[in-house]
This record gives sequence, C-alpha cells and structure tokens, in this order.
Amino acid sequence: MTIKNGKNISTRLKIAKNRIYKNLKNTNQIEGSSIGSALKMSTELVVTVVVGSTIGFILDGWFDTKPWLTITFFFIGVIAGILNVFKTAKKMQKK
Amino acid sequence: MSTNPMHQFEVYRIGPELSLGGIDISFTNSSLFMLISAASILLILSYATTKKNLIPSKIQLLSELSYNFIAKMISDTAGSNGKAFFPFIFSLFVFVLFCNMIGMLPYAFTVTSHIIVTFFLASIVFIGVTILGFIKHGFKYLKLFVPSGVPVLLLPLIVVIEIISYLSRPVSLSVRLFANMMAGHTMLKVFGGFVISLGFLGGWLPLSFSVALTGLEILVAFLQAYVFAILTCIYLNDALNLHH
Repeated sequence: MTIKNGKNISTRLKIAKNRIYKNLKNTNQIEGSSIGSALKMSTELVVTVVVGSTIGFILDGWFDTKPWLTITFFFIGVIAGILNVFKTAKKMQKK
Repeated sequence: MSTNPMHQFEVYRIGPELSLGGIDISFTNSSLFMLISAASILLILSYATTKKNLIPSKIQLLSELSYNFIAKMISDTAGSNGKAFFPFIFSLFVFVLFCNMIGMLPYAFTVTSHIIVTFFLASIVFIGVTILGFIKHGFKYLKLFVPSGVPVLLLPLIVVIEIISYLSRPVSLSVRLFANMMAGHTMLKVFGGFVISLGFLGGWLPLSFSVALTGLEILVAFLQAYVFAILTCIYLNDALNLHH
C-alpha cells in the first residue's frame, strides 16, 4: 500500500511540476518581460532625444557654433530613439 | 500636515551637520530610509535562511522564490556567463524593491523618488558594464558601436547614433524609476488632498481613486524594480556576449 502510494505520488508530482513549468513559460514570464520592453521603449524614445540635445549643447559650447550642433544632435537623438524602438520590436518578434 | 504634494520629497538633516572636504555628508531622512530598507532585507533574508526546512515556511518560500526569480531572469537574458553576477543583480533588485515598497507605507520617505539615488545606481551599472566589456573583449568592445552590414557612407551617422543610444542607457534607467515613483506618490498625495477638501459629502470619489491608486502603486513599485534588474541583465548580456 505504502509503496504503491509512493509511486503514485512521484508520478503525480512530475505531472504537476510539468504543468507548473508550462504555465510559467506560457504566461508570467512573457507578460512580465513584454511590460519591461514596453517601459524600456517608451522611456528610451524620450531619453535619447534629451541626451542627444545635451551632447549637442556641450559640443556647441566647445566649438562656438551656437545653435547648429544642438539642432543636429537633436535630430540624431530622435533617429536614435526611433531606431531603438525598431531594434527592441525586432528582438521581441524573434522570440 | 502639509497639503503640498511635493512636501513629501523634502530631504532634511537628522542629527549634527557633518562635512568632508567641503561636501555635506550629514545623515538625512533619505539615508535613514536606505538604512531601514537594507536592514530589513538583511533581517528577513537571514531569518528566512536560519531554519532550512524541507517543507518551507512562508518566509523561507518567499526568499527561495525571489532567488529563483532572479536566477531564472539572469539565465534567460544573460546566459550562463551571467551567473557570476547573481549577487550584484540580486542585491540591486531587492534594494530597489524594498526602497519602493517601504516608500508605500504612510509617513515613509521614498528613497527612489530622488533622481540622484537612481542615477547613482544606474551609473554603477553603466560604468561596471563598460569596464567589464573592455576587460572581456579589449578594444573589440567598440564594435558595439559599429553594427555589421552598414554601408560605409552611412557609417559616421550610425556610429554617432549608437554612441548616443549607449550614453542614454544610464539616463533612461534612472529616469524611468525616479519618474514613476515620484509621479505615483505625487498623485496619491493630490487625491488624498481632494478627500480632505471635498469633505464628508464629496470625498468618497477621490477616496476610492486613492485606494485604487495605492494598488497600482504597489504594482508599479514591484514592476520598476523588476525592470531595473532585467535591463541590468540585458546590458550585462551586451558586454558579456558581443554579437555584432
């Protein structure tokens, strides 16, 4: 009786574990990381513009070319932000 | 009590004024709450691991669950090479999580609602990852800025773009955490103020909003700690396994 029960329990444990792992893979992990990527994309889109403009502003101070480098780097920052979103989206689609 | 929603973010000195080489290093309420969160992490984790039962108690289960959570996150994003950085990422995650969660308690100060704190944490990650990349790959690490399969004509522009997006990493990492925490706590305070000013008759609507927002803020507190940790893993992965 006890041996039979033991076997039963071990097989049942295996089945239950498999089910839990499957559930974990199917739902939680993917949802969590996609929220992460969404937050990453949205902030990077904004922050790259700010960082680009700041770099342009600093370089303007060095080379005495007042508005031009700030404007150029602002647009480069915009491009970098959009490119980052594309890259993250591509990575997400591969998965 | 003040009704100003930004009043809760004020940093004030506790105890005597200390300075080292002209820099103010006095003990503040911010440092107090950092100490409280570090101490509670130590207490909870050490208590959880004193009695190692085969059938874990609730608190032991909690610590084992968080261990597994981070270990899985690292192996999923940074691969087996990232295992060596488990202690660092685990400490980072748990510290941010506890700072956020303790900030949710009434009268508590939210350490992570100040950009200097989050920016410092992000700079540690950024500088550490950069140094690690150069140690692992030498000057080949600079290939990160030169993606393969780009026409030579476009290369200068692409390199500048890649450098900007690399430099924006610590800023985005810190701004995300700081802005979420500060915005959430300000909103809670604003709705709390509405409850008082609308009184017994009209105050029920903002009160219900406040309750819902508290739930949302607890979710955000966890999620931001998670995102901070997973992005650290992703940056670590870039430094460890160079793909370009």
